[in-house]
Amino acid sequence: MDFILSGFLTAIDLLRRGDAETYSAIFATVRVSSYSMTASLLIGIPLGFLLGYCKFPGRKQIRLVVDTLLALPTVFIGLLVYAFLSRQGPLGQMGLLFTLPGIAVGQTILALPIVMALSASAIENLDRRLRITLISLGANRRQLLLSSLWEVRHGILAAALTAYGRVMTEVGISMMVGGNIKWHTRTITTAIALETNKGLFAMGIALGLVLMAIAFIVNVSVSFLRKR
Amino acid sequence: MASDDIYQIKGLEHSFGKEPVLRVDSLKIPPAAIVGLIGPNGSGKSTLLNLLGFIMAPTRGDILFKGRPAVPFSGDVRFRVTLLDQEPYLLRRSVARNISYGLELRGDREQLQDRIAAALDWVGLPEKEFSGRQWYELSGGEAQRVALAARLGLQPEVLLLDEPIASVDAASAERIKAATLRARSEWGTTLVIASHDWQWLYEVCDVVLHLFKGRMFGQERINIVFGPWQPRGDGTWQKILADGQAIVVPPPPKPAAVAVFTDAEIAPDTGDSPPVSHSGVLNGVVSRLILERDGRDVIAVVQVDQLPITVKLTRQAVEKRQLYPGRQIGILLRSDRAVWI
Repeated sequence: MDFILSGFLTAIDLLRRGDAETYSAIFATVRVSSYSMTASLLIGIPLGFLLGYCKFPGRKQIRLVVDTLLALPTVFIGLLVYAFLSRQGPLGQMGLLFTLPGIAVGQTILALPIVMALSASAIENLDRRLRITLISLGANRRQLLLSSLWEVRHGILAAALTAYGRVMTEVGISMMVGGNIKWHTRTITTAIALETNKGLFAMGIALGLVLMAIAFIVNVSVSFLRKR
Repeated sequence: MASDDIYQIKGLEHSFGKEPVLRVDSLKIPPAAIVGLIGPNGSGKSTLLNLLGFIMAPTRGDILFKGRPAVPFSGDVRFRVTLLDQEPYLLRRSVARNISYGLELRGDREQLQDRIAAALDWVGLPEKEFSGRQWYELSGGEAQRVALAARLGLQPEVLLLDEPIASVDAASAERIKAATLRARSEWGTTLVIASHDWQWLYEVCDVVLHLFKGRMFGQERINIVFGPWQPRGDGTWQKILADGQAIVVPPPPKPAAVAVFTDAEIAPDTGDSPPVSHSGVLNGVVSRLILERDGRDVIAVVQVDQLPITVKLTRQAVEKRQLYPGRQIGILLRSDRAVWI
């Protein structure tokens, strides 16, 4: 038990005195998750809206595929992205392998089905009376779309939050596509895995605490936004 | 050619899937009229209101608004017609922002606060108490009134109300009635109101139109008698009521057909008390008398067994026949003019 307690105390110390290696992993995580979340929200919300709002042939089949992709294992995404970005892969010349943008590509693939499926569900559950209300108050087609999106903001926020949770905590993609390169592509989760393997619990616990703190801050912000 | 009518409908049909749910051969609604729509569930009232509100386009036929064909989202109607749905939906925001939403869509932000207060006042909700409340902090009746205030705040040319008093208490119903009548008198708003409560409708409306199973019977008061019908052996068919009286009709298209009687009359006074049941006359008891809004005519509801039959009479006829709730009278249903559905 002592090693856990001492690891915990050292972790606090590492964070307090701004240990460069620890903070490098934290910043790498924040950067890469920001890239992937921005991309997945920008692509996923409109696609989710289309999927939930519009009736078109093949919609059910697409929905089934998106729902299936919710269960994509991160190591499989890592494998696919690695294959595409490696030198002999079709996107090898882009030089994204072992870079943060490369990890972000994989994490976007991970987050996209979550954002799409949960946004589509939120929009499908929109009250049919909302459309009547908006049109009868004078909304044109564009205002109808924007106001409908605003009405499901809590559902979309929940979708974003769920996707963020997956992105922040995944190891497979970061490890395979990023390569866990110190000062460069080492993220919180890959660092925890590595440091624990080395028997260095302190840094692992420190990073785990940061992960928890980020999750807490995001949740507090979301619950504040929900009230608005 | 421009028309004086707000709405003109000809040959309108609307279907959900393959089945037509509403057919209106012809309908004209003049400006500043208050028109009531009455009919049981599934009669097409809400569909008609959605079409008049340009929420959706009819499957067939045109709706002319002020003499010009109009479609959903068209500029001619978008800011002029508004509909209050049966169960109004409040936007996920405060009461004040619900009321200001329509005004903001119109780019009309002048004295917004005053206008929100005025709209709330119309429906009897104090601004200080309600303006800042969120949508989830309202009772059903309050939400209904806020939704109405959001429409009244727009000073619409046409206000369509779908079952506005279905889920509110008597005081709210009275408020809603006062607000709708005031909208007509102050702004010349044309109102079309659908309701089950025909006593309320007759009190408020200039004209009440009857709908049944997607067909419009116009201003004729319809009395609906459901099958099954049984053959009598003499070429006519009948429905035996629980008290033993029979409604005799010509052969129906099928035994389960629904007969719509467009005319019902009080049978001539034969001096019998209670009246003797004879061919074509049904014995009933007057259950309600309602004075129409113009004060000239009276609608009498006569209960024949479990069947309510409505009859229109002049005030003089009511006085002459000494009609009052509880009085037994004979009713003539013109079976030769029954419409089968």
